[in-house]
Amino acid sequence: MKVGLFVTCLVDLSRPGIGFAALKLLEGAGCEVVVPEAQTCCGQPGYNSGGREIAKELARKVLAEFRDCDYVVAPSGSCSGQMKVATVQDLFRGEPDLPEFEKLAAKWYELSQFLVEVLKVGRVPGKFEGTVTYHDSCSGLRELGVKMQPRYLLQMAGAKIAEMDGAERCCGFGGTFSIKLGEISTRMCEGKCESIRATGAGAIVGGDLGCLLNIEGRLRRTGDKDTKVLHFAQVIAGEG
Amino acid sequence: MQVQSMFFKQRASEKLGDALLQGNMKKAKGKFVDGRAKAVAEFGVWEEVRTHAAKVRDRALANLDAYLVEFERNATRRGAVVHWAETAEEACAIIADIAARNGVRKVTKSKSMVSEEVNLNERLEAAGVQVVETDLGEYILQLAHEPPSHIVAPAVHKSKEQVADLFQKAHGKPRLTEIPAMTREAREALRGHFLTADMGISGSNFVIAETGTTLTVTNEGNADMVTTIPRIHVVITGIEKVIGTMEDFATLIRLLPRSAVGQTIANYLTLTTGLRMPGDADGPEQMHIVLVDAGRTKLLGGPMQEMLRCIRCGACMNHCPVYQNIGGHAYGWVYPGPMGSILTPVYVGLENAGDLPNAATFCHECSVACPVKIPLPELMRKLREEQFDRKLRPWPERMAIAAWAFAVKRPALYAFLSAMGARVASWMGGSEGLIHSLPGLDGWTKGRDMPAPQGRTFREMYRQRTRERR
Amino acid sequence: MDVKRGRMGARENILARIRRAQGRSGGEPTAAETALVREAIARHEVGPQPPFAHAPDRLAQFRKECERLGTTHATIASRSEIPAEVSRYLAAGGLEKRLAGWHEFAGLDWAGAGIAFDNRPATGDDKTGLTGCFCAIAETGTVLLLSSPATPKVTALLPETHICVVGAARLVDTMEDSFALVRSEVGDPPRAVFFVSGPSRTADIEQTIVIGAHGPYRVHVIVVEP
Repeated sequence: MKVGLFVTCLVDLSRPGIGFAALKLLEGAGCEVVVPEAQTCCGQPGYNSGGREIAKELARKVLAEFRDCDYVVAPSGSCSGQMKVATVQDLFRGEPDLPEFEKLAAKWYELSQFLVEVLKVGRVPGKFEGTVTYHDSCSGLRELGVKMQPRYLLQMAGAKIAEMDGAERCCGFGGTFSIKLGEISTRMCEGKCESIRATGAGAIVGGDLGCLLNIEGRLRRTGDKDTKVLHFAQVIAGEG
Repeated sequence: MQVQSMFFKQRASEKLGDALLQGNMKKAKGKFVDGRAKAVAEFGVWEEVRTHAAKVRDRALANLDAYLVEFERNATRRGAVVHWAETAEEACAIIADIAARNGVRKVTKSKSMVSEEVNLNERLEAAGVQVVETDLGEYILQLAHEPPSHIVAPAVHKSKEQVADLFQKAHGKPRLTEIPAMTREAREALRGHFLTADMGISGSNFVIAETGTTLTVTNEGNADMVTTIPRIHVVITGIEKVIGTMEDFATLIRLLPRSAVGQTIANYLTLTTGLRMPGDADGPEQMHIVLVDAGRTKLLGGPMQEMLRCIRCGACMNHCPVYQNIGGHAYGWVYPGPMGSILTPVYVGLENAGDLPNAATFCHECSVACPVKIPLPELMRKLREEQFDRKLRPWPERMAIAAWAFAVKRPALYAFLSAMGARVASWMGGSEGLIHSLPGLDGWTKGRDMPAPQGRTFREMYRQRTRERR
Repeated sequence: MDVKRGRMGARENILARIRRAQGRSGGEPTAAETALVREAIARHEVGPQPPFAHAPDRLAQFRKECERLGTTHATIASRSEIPAEVSRYLAAGGLEKRLAGWHEFAGLDWAGAGIAFDNRPATGDDKTGLTGCFCAIAETGTVLLLSSPATPKVTALLPETHICVVGAARLVDTMEDSFALVRSEVGDPPRAVFFVSGPSRTADIEQTIVIGAHGPYRVHVIVVEP
């Protein structure tokens, strides 16, 4: 089974460890993983800024890079939403390219969904002792239905999960929103951080690096140097 | 109401710093969201009814002209006079004229967002007519000289202490602080107005084509006083509110109160058709229905048409994390939250409300909550696309996107720039790996650190790994 | 300005704009379009309804919803028992034994129950209003009143207490059923089709529910089940 890894631009730039954790999990489960070198970004920053043509151009670029993979997997609900939902429901609706994008959407998976629903993994390499709390990022949850999968995997690694109040509430990241309307974004994030603190968990875990950087940035700014901020892939790959 | 939406960012900032407002918003937050969730959970066929409701609204919108003419014909048959207003000014002029011709001195009003939209009260007051808002929330705001901050709970931003001060001043009685006693005092203050008004003005949640019927949905019963007691009843509503039948109404009313506040049904639903009949003990002698366009036709026929399904339940704002934090006034016009971030730019001009379509993280809570399945984030994105195409966003933002787009399409350049960026930013992050301030990104770094990259990109490390494995 | 139509041409302009936006020519809907719309309307399509709306025990469902809304209820076996039940209810609540009621109840033995019955529409001064109803709806615990010379709406609205008599045979499952009944028994709807579901309430101050905003503080339903 040939699986293409879509690393995501944020992981590439900021937290390569998440990409390697995903690689380890996929290879460990017996997949032949390819990482097309020309990949850059799914186009969502352009798409959400009103740059429709840019988004389409980048979607075509991604399509070309992953055309001959059996599956494409990304450690992000947000980028996956862009390639699985935005392309077929909006960007290429009614266009000749649509069938190609429908094929891509059908074989594209968010990492936790791929591990649980396609590979049906029964164990993971990571061992995590302690309590974590999980933040459901918006695209993964509401566009793709990512909810139980990462929790199931985390528990497989031995983590205890203390659910926070409002786990499904947006952390305020929203891509460029976090900069354009930074003050509101910060306040939303503070609400999330309050919920995280209230659980007493030693780590906040999520599936989208954007949210995690946002949360980590606010936690550190408000003096919390201890709470770990981790992608679930790092935890279950044993790279946390 | 004067449009202030171009100052969204600044107004939001003020609201974030307003400790009293923040406290009041926090109190309200859970009640709407939890109430709705409970009502939806016990309903059983929520998705089926949502789908049908969207169909019901789409059916009428797809043939809006024919539905409106059918409504007009049936309302007229029952003795109502149907007026058409292309603009806000026209709507006001029509109603002011009805008041003048009939020697109207006092008007009681039940809640109408369209009347807020067209500034009706101001116009009638300028003509010497006393206007009394009778919905308790609207009454409070009329005393405070403030616009509503929520389309269903207009005074949600006020605490009971603030209301107590307003009542003490307006009613000239000892200050009450218990909410039931305050409510009784307002009831008594308004009762006399209900019985002595010459004209009642209501909105209409929907208008029914088959029968020429208008209707009100309230818990307080104020709309029933307004539409029953005065000799003249004026309805002001938008042209998009038309539906086909009473059965369509039955579908929509299963969704409206549940979505708004988690109630199975509103206490008073009144379908009013035409005039009092011969021998009737109550009901008006004249009924006027003002159908307002004021920008609605701009939404028709294109990708934005779905917005016209809106049934004004407020669920989108109740569930919006942005709204929850800043309240309705920050949005700067009549309609706040996600629905307002679409309607305001369309009705008052995108150039006058530039931040509103951007005031969302696209978390999709609104579209999940919307009872008529309006894809609110997608419609906001359409407006962002228009802003992009018309170059309406500030130039640094446009430059940044252009630069990003240039690089991201060129893998070799991108690899080089991202490797450089990772190194520089990593160096800036120092030993703790945190960047405390970053020029151009102060929107982020004012309230948060920027966790720094770790020095090398995935791409570089993966390439090395591949080399080593060979 | 012609007050009957608003500014001259506003109607025509709006209709033309709608048609243009939706890709239809001309200024008014065509006969064929109107016919299609009327056909769609005439189908009176009923949407999906929640399963509990069609409860095996309709009266039990009605009572359950009444309780949820804060409506009290009692069941009696014949109309002649109405004055006694009203008397019991008023006494239990410490309320004055005087009411304004619909004409249909004027012939009952009110004096025998110690109640002063005023056969007229209620005013702002009446403490209790007694009405019947056109029908009642089990799904939501709602009573439906239709306006007519003999059934003034104000009697249900102005007093602090509203007592409503419901014949058990007039209980239907859903709002759609009530509309079908209006259509078959009355035809065109009267001026007011008035659905009452519990006492008047507001939550406009701090989202705190308070009973008795502008309408009644109390709604009591008397079901007559022979």
